[in-house]
Amino acid sequence: MQRCDLIVIGAGPAGLSAAVEAARQGMRVTVYDENARPGGQLFKQIHKFFGSREHKAKIRGIRIGEELLQEASAAGVQVELDAVVTGIFADKEVTVRQGERMLRRKADTLIIATGASENMTSFENWTLPGVIGAGAAQTMMNLHGVRPGEKILMLGSGNVGLVVGFQLLQAGCQVVAVADALPGIGGYGVHAAKLARCGVPFYTAHTIVRAEGVERVTGAVIGAIDQNWHIVPDSEKHFDVDTICLAVGLSPMSRLCGLAGCVMEDNPQKAGLVPVVDALGETSVPGIFAAGDVSGIEEASSAMIEGRIAGLAAAHRMGFMASSALDARLAELTGALASLRAGMFAPGSKGKVFTHTAEGCALSASLLRRGFVADEEIDRYPGVTRARGVHPVLECTQNIPCNPCADACPRQCITVGADGGTITALPVFDAARGCTGCGLCVAACSGQAIFLVDEEAGEITLPYEFLPLPQKGEQGMALGRDGQPVCPAEVVAVRTSAAFDKTNLLTIRVPAEYAGRARFYRKER
Amino acid sequence: MLQDRTKNTGGFSPAPDDGLIICRCEEITKGEIRRAIQDGLLTLTELRRFLRAGMGLCQGQTCGRLVKSILARELGVPPAALEPVVSRAPVRPVEMQVLARDQEIDHD
Repeated sequence: MQRCDLIVIGAGPAGLSAAVEAARQGMRVTVYDENARPGGQLFKQIHKFFGSREHKAKIRGIRIGEELLQEASAAGVQVELDAVVTGIFADKEVTVRQGERMLRRKADTLIIATGASENMTSFENWTLPGVIGAGAAQTMMNLHGVRPGEKILMLGSGNVGLVVGFQLLQAGCQVVAVADALPGIGGYGVHAAKLARCGVPFYTAHTIVRAEGVERVTGAVIGAIDQNWHIVPDSEKHFDVDTICLAVGLSPMSRLCGLAGCVMEDNPQKAGLVPVVDALGETSVPGIFAAGDVSGIEEASSAMIEGRIAGLAAAHRMGFMASSALDARLAELTGALASLRAGMFAPGSKGKVFTHTAEGCALSASLLRRGFVADEEIDRYPGVTRARGVHPVLECTQNIPCNPCADACPRQCITVGADGGTITALPVFDAARGCTGCGLCVAACSGQAIFLVDEEAGEITLPYEFLPLPQKGEQGMALGRDGQPVCPAEVVAVRTSAAFDKTNLLTIRVPAEYAGRARFYRKER
Repeated sequence: MLQDRTKNTGGFSPAPDDGLIICRCEEITKGEIRRAIQDGLLTLTELRRFLRAGMGLCQGQTCGRLVKSILARELGVPPAALEPVVSRAPVRPVEMQVLARDQEIDHD
């Protein structure tokens, strides 16, 4: 039987991060993953991540995956693919199915980083072809280059539903609606706003009644629900769709933890059955750690830090690392993790109802219900200012741990949490420092919520991630935050640059009175 | 956490969505699950063994949560209060011929 110092189960963001840290301390590390490609969900994540520089913010998930693989290879980590861990037995022996063989492997420490699986919901005809998970849609689009359908209903407005919904638009699909049973949109407002300004309607407090079709999905019916989750009579709406995408949450894939004898808890805050772990990710079984979604559903950014902590802890436990060295790294990593777990969407804030931002601005009711900040609400946020000449308008209205805008500005015009504030603070623009209109903040904003506006000239520069790119001189229509036509617009500049990392900057000119409302562009008039 | 077997769960009464398939792999309907609960199968493990819901190709990855919510509703308890299903190897389906070759191949 082959032995190594550490076996990591799962080559996603948590598992790879754990393996890299442990191998750098001198451990012999093998990672097993059941998929044909490493990286877990990272290679499907074509959007820019939130957070700060230390959390790899404004880098697209796919790039983070490539970096992690390079780090793993440089550290001497052995990654075994198409390798399904089928069981964990006494003394950290694991069985692995690889190809037509069953392998038995043993290690002194184990890190379980098996991630999560998508939840399903049952409704009439939910077993028809065309009802798919949002993760499946993402796999089809971003790994295989296949459009899952033409017309799509997205069920669920958490970040998965919103992010995948936008990617479906990017792939050229029509998203007819996003529906959510909850009374408010669950994910980041900025993600919802990207969909809304493309004209996607939101139906909160609505659930799916049935899928229609015989051989496959040809339509969907949703209905409003009352407080007792009953369909309100006569509230049913029909959509012609060929695909119904379910984004109704994730569950930790923690079965191996149970098998290993770890004490488990069914914790709704962590979205399901998870192993009980300490601050280092160690389970009740000494030497067995859990990191990432398997120990509680969070973002990939947190999973990577949890992985790093577990990898170091495993190295320390086996004597590869001195306590002082561990403590130094832990101070840095736990600080980074704590900053990611702050704000309105933090795991600890689940179930809390916020009415105001930390700054005291009333939250946008329209954003929560319809996916966009209403024109009459937008001025209450500190990043939305008027100034002479070109300047950024930061339509950031919720406390999210994110600051690439401040990091990107070469003249330090933008600050997030200045004077000892936090990374979850709303960004503020200081006109005195002199914005040059370089656009780096527009491209850096992971939420695509920054616009360069010149009110007098009626020029708006907006982030644009669709192909084909509009041409300079083209005439089209400016759309509002709600996706409705505002006025005719002319494309006056299209900027692309390596520094923008594939976020193109589109500058449109509109009559000056519309400069505060025009936030998107469509070619058709 | 032991399931109270003396609790009156109300008996089976038909519902309009009883025909809904819950476990796709084994084609078990909501009505079959509800009836089994009212017949006295009060844990997830019992339901699994009796109905095979969650015993198919996906090993309950799709229906596990759905069966859990049906059981919780019939018993009138929160889903998190239910005794979890027992984990057992292999956690992913493995063909018998692959398992059988385990002994002969790998002792390196």
